[in-house]
Amino acid sequence: MKKPIIFILLFILKLNGITAQVNVYFNPMFVGNKLELNKQYFIVNSTNSIQIETLKFYISNMEFYNTEQLVFKEKNSFHLIDAEDSTTFNLMINLKPNINFNQIKFNIGIDSITNYGGAMGGDLDPTKGMYWTWQNGYINFKIEGKSNLSIAKSNDFLFHLGGYQNAFSTLQTIQLPVQNSQVIPINMAIDKWINEIDLAKQNHIMSPSKEAVILSNKLSTIFSVTK
Amino acid sequence: MKIKTIVIGFIIILLFAFASADKSLFTTPKNWPKPVYNFKKNQLTDSKILLGRVLFYDPILSRNNTISCANCHSQYTAFTHVDHALSHGIDDRIGTRNSLALMNLAWHQSFMWDGAINHLDMQALAPISHHDEMDENIKHVTEKLQASKIYQLLFYNAFNDSTITGENTLKAISQFMLIMVSANSKYDKVKRMEDSFTKQEENGYRLFKQNCASCHTEPLFTNREFENNGIPIDSLLNDIGRKRITQNDQDYLKFKVPTLRNIEFSNPYMHDGRFKRIYEVINHYTNIQKSKTLSLKLQKQIILTSNEKVDLTAFLLTLTDKGFLFNPKFGFPKEVLLK
Repeated sequence: MKKPIIFILLFILKLNGITAQVNVYFNPMFVGNKLELNKQYFIVNSTNSIQIETLKFYISNMEFYNTEQLVFKEKNSFHLIDAEDSTTFNLMINLKPNINFNQIKFNIGIDSITNYGGAMGGDLDPTKGMYWTWQNGYINFKIEGKSNLSIAKSNDFLFHLGGYQNAFSTLQTIQLPVQNSQVIPINMAIDKWINEIDLAKQNHIMSPSKEAVILSNKLSTIFSVTK
Repeated sequence: MKIKTIVIGFIIILLFAFASADKSLFTTPKNWPKPVYNFKKNQLTDSKILLGRVLFYDPILSRNNTISCANCHSQYTAFTHVDHALSHGIDDRIGTRNSLALMNLAWHQSFMWDGAINHLDMQALAPISHHDEMDENIKHVTEKLQASKIYQLLFYNAFNDSTITGENTLKAISQFMLIMVSANSKYDKVKRMEDSFTKQEENGYRLFKQNCASCHTEPLFTNREFENNGIPIDSLLNDIGRKRITQNDQDYLKFKVPTLRNIEFSNPYMHDGRFKRIYEVINHYTNIQKSKTLSLKLQKQIILTSNEKVDLTAFLLTLTDKGFLFNPKFGFPKEVLLK
């Protein structure tokens, strides 16, 4: 009588014991190399300089697909990635065992429902500096730095992209083909995105706006997976 | 054996979870709509409410520890800034709006005159961060609180965790604001058949229902919408109202309809505090200039004789709830803050 119970217990333990941990690794790059904060770069084909002082963004709603079928969805999937702290680049995701996937999907930023959800903790805690207070809502993507092109004080530029309501929604969904492996490196070509901005004309965004939507839409093109 | 222990452990945890959520801390008054606030995500407890009350009255929330929430939201004046058309904050800096009276906030899903804030929990961040109000930031606030032994204890009692987070700080402040329910004015007593209106108040109530109730809807005395009530724009302040948030032309000069509860004590009136007296407000409504976004509810001219204006005022004074304005449970927590 006792034996089957033990077998069932062992089976349950086995199921719980084996979780396939996948490391999704975000790698912010600048002209083909790992982005270094505060380093002076030159914009391609010009003498104009640029340096990035802050890069922070949210990755949320991480999903794994096998062809078009959703096979795993991370619960409570909100990750703040901060270029100042490379440990935040690594998202360790505990998949169920024996899952095959060939695509991942995630959001850059925080969805509208969460934006209406009140005070939250962890990476969503408003002390993380990614929350607007005068018109509330999360900042999805924040980049700050200097460039001689910017006519602002100290040649600064700052782009705080956010907004979750209708026409000003800046949330981006990224879908990428990946190999079924334990490490998934995702490169982000930050220089490619910066090159889309005419820093001489535009040096800051700090509220939900049409401009924020335009620049956010351009983010979707900078992600790629290393083969 | 082990499984049994785990199951018993679970039952104990569940029991505690239910025991700590005391329903009597908040009750929806009879015939009121359902509150909007999701209490499941922030269950009221005595210790969290106390923490929220201490935070509400503590100037530690401001940059130089001089301004508390209560500076612009004083209990005896319906939790607003009496005598000041535009509220002033840190270093005597003057803002651009008249602070709103705080009460019955559990029924609101947007906050501020322009609805810039979508959740009660996040509301306090705005004055904490505003240059002219407290000029602080929430991260620094949590650091200051963490350095205080009293707050470590208060947070531990409230959240079983003496590590102070932004989330818990904001949730505690919400808890205190949530219990600020004003539902015991003469009007409420009349509705509950515990009292009766005078002839004058009765006539005022009739006029109110005819002319005012479509925006100042009972029982909250606000429809919680944004309306242009016809007051001309102040060219110095140039406050465009809700349009600032939605960037939609249709929202030009629309402001949140404020509650009329405790109006006797919440002067001055309007988003920029331009009217000091109730009669000035009533005179405004009988003399409205039409404009593009003027509320549809104000298209028909309101006509009131001077006697009717007096009667209407008499009714408005029945919305005063002294039990709310002078309730010690909303007052300065001297037992904690004076230590």
